[in-house]
Amino acid sequence: MKENGIEHNKGNRFNMWKIHLSVATVTLIPAAVGINYVAKAFAEGLKLPLWLGSLGTYLASMLAGPTAGAISGFINNIIYGLTLSPVSTVYSITSIAIGIVVGVLFNRGWFSSAKRVFVSAILIALTSAIISTPLNVIFWGGQTGIPWGDAIFAGMIGNHINIWIASFTDEFILDIMDKVVVAYIAFFIYKQLPQRMINYFKDNQ
Amino acid sequence: MEIRNNSIQKIARLHWYNFVDPVTKLLLALFLTMLSFDFTNLYFEAGLVLCSLVLLLLSRLTSATINAVSFCLFLIVTMILIQGLFYSKNVHPLFSVMGITFYLEGLLYALTMSARILIIIFAIGFFMNTTTISENAKYLESIGMPYKQVYLLMSVCYILPQIQQNMKKIQFAERARGINPQKTVTQKIRSILPILIPLIIKTFDQSINRSITLQLRGFNSPERTLATPKYCYFKAKFSHYCLSFATILLIGWKLWQIISRFL
Amino acid sequence: MANNQQVSLTHLSFTYRHDHDAVLHDITASAPLNSIVGIIGNYNAGKTTLCRILAGIIPNMMAGNLQGDVQIGALSPTQNWSDFNQQTGFVLQDPSSQLSGLADTVADEIAFDLLNHGVDEAAIQQRVVDVAAQLQLTAQLGQSPVSLSGGQLQRLAITTAIVTRPTILLLDDPTSEMDPQGREAFFTWLKTIKDATIFIVSNEIDDLCEIADRLWVLDNGELVSQGTPAEVINSLNSDWQIGTPKVYQLARLMDWTMPDDNNQFPVTVDQLRRCADDDHSNQSSQVSISHQ
Repeated sequence: MKENGIEHNKGNRFNMWKIHLSVATVTLIPAAVGINYVAKAFAEGLKLPLWLGSLGTYLASMLAGPTAGAISGFINNIIYGLTLSPVSTVYSITSIAIGIVVGVLFNRGWFSSAKRVFVSAILIALTSAIISTPLNVIFWGGQTGIPWGDAIFAGMIGNHINIWIASFTDEFILDIMDKVVVAYIAFFIYKQLPQRMINYFKDNQ
Repeated sequence: MEIRNNSIQKIARLHWYNFVDPVTKLLLALFLTMLSFDFTNLYFEAGLVLCSLVLLLLSRLTSATINAVSFCLFLIVTMILIQGLFYSKNVHPLFSVMGITFYLEGLLYALTMSARILIIIFAIGFFMNTTTISENAKYLESIGMPYKQVYLLMSVCYILPQIQQNMKKIQFAERARGINPQKTVTQKIRSILPILIPLIIKTFDQSINRSITLQLRGFNSPERTLATPKYCYFKAKFSHYCLSFATILLIGWKLWQIISRFL
Repeated sequence: MANNQQVSLTHLSFTYRHDHDAVLHDITASAPLNSIVGIIGNYNAGKTTLCRILAGIIPNMMAGNLQGDVQIGALSPTQNWSDFNQQTGFVLQDPSSQLSGLADTVADEIAFDLLNHGVDEAAIQQRVVDVAAQLQLTAQLGQSPVSLSGGQLQRLAITTAIVTRPTILLLDDPTSEMDPQGREAFFTWLKTIKDATIFIVSNEIDDLCEIADRLWVLDNGELVSQGTPAEVINSLNSDWQIGTPKVYQLARLMDWTMPDDNNQFPVTVDQLRRCADDDHSNQSSQVSISHQ
């Protein structure tokens, strides 16, 4: 008898750019969106100066690759936009990028140790800030909506600093804190996940 | 057809908005948003806000939309303050309070953006208040979207209210246990991990189980019967073409505006 | 060995990929087709894993080292899974994750499988009503699945498994959340099913003995006993920590052995009745077995 019926993706850790959605990915994505929501609600409940709303996207990327992460991020913002706050729809572009970057970094082993996670987090924050800044400028005149970040922003443009630089600074300072914390939480949680779970999502792609 | 079709259809009488298909509603929201980007005249923006508000009021106004507006209100207020005080093109003072001058240009700029945000909220509010998840699912499937993708979108819609409920329970239990004594951010994050990790493992386990049963239940089968749309829609294809065409024109026009600035 | 009229497991072993130890060791078992096989065992005995193999979840969705062969009639879950799956209904341990998660009503949930199989709307209508009636869910057809109680949810999970009219039915602890009446109704109903091979994992040893044709006892991944309920219960080893039916306990206390085999105690009410009759007739020296 054959050892088993599942094709293993030998060599690479998983088939990175597969657009075809497996059933396992299809059920993983709603869970990831749910986790995003829960994490965000916790952050709000504890009055943390962070969003944490990309935790599920990180985990989906780590478990099932960048495509799954990107789709989680995209759908996350679309559904948020259609149910809770319509403007968050446009930030789906940022979420897609976060999903992709996390997936690629994880694949390349940049989530394997605490030190490497820090480097990853900075890269992720940079990506997020670069993509969010134009959106902030277009929709909110450069603000992020987090009071103390916006205070920095107001101070900077009050001193006639270019709006793009001010908005990027506002966004990046918030992003770096948020993405570092989320990266470490995701790193920690991933290590706690049972191996059978990791195998299941890896096998069923 | 008695049992399986939702009884809502029979009990409630049909409203005008039931004859507009979900995709048209979404395209309409996109079209209105693009209009507000292309024509930034404040009167025109106000007109658009009014239009989308009327659209919303003629259909249904729910608490979700009111919540969305109140959520944005704070941002709108700070936006008016920041831009009124510091906008780079500020020239004409409007008024001064205790030596702080408030400018006209910044105010107008902030008002334009606020109008845009209100338009988005109202137009999307119209979509979400007048369609149900199953109506959307059936419609998307009937116009040829692969069932897997329909399922994905819709299951997220179903999972959010469930999670919202679970969260309320958890938060209630948390409150019952007393206020968290943790002060620093690190302590706070540490305190949520013991709740978060089991919750995440449970959620992923459920998705594993669900993916297994979906496969056992023939989810991937190519023979699947296509869903029929819930209502008979008025000229759905025609409105899709018109709105898509108009929106693409508006996007092109906007892009040209931006590019011509650099020429 | 592979008989088309039989359920046969031959030298079946399995180790999950994340595990070092085998969950199932060299299981060889058989049962006639269209019979009810009860699978019993202690916690961690490998019951759920065995169900997964019988349903083809292993090796088609979960990986590991599977050895040996499974044959259910002409079908094999490990070889031609999609054909096999067309013929199979499975009820998971956790009924809520059995649901599609997309249905507004119980009726839509039951119809999900039929829609996937391309059954036409009129037939769907008929079959949904039919199975809902069998499991007393008619009143709930218009309700949302989220509003159901645990027991109702399990019954819904069962209806979704049987609505496609499977010839193989796998039930992993399907009554864990039912109340005693619901459980009794379920087992009575299960006995009425014809033309299907049923595998049921359950801790309800009383009910299982009443309905099962065969029992398979698992202990630590090994098949330690198989046979008719009476054979298995009468030869239980206390190390397996498996409960015995009330009927059997009573019969042992009263020393009522089966009329045809004095070494065996009865495990079903019918068998007990026969013993009692036998006992009675012995006393009054009359022969009357027609009482059943």
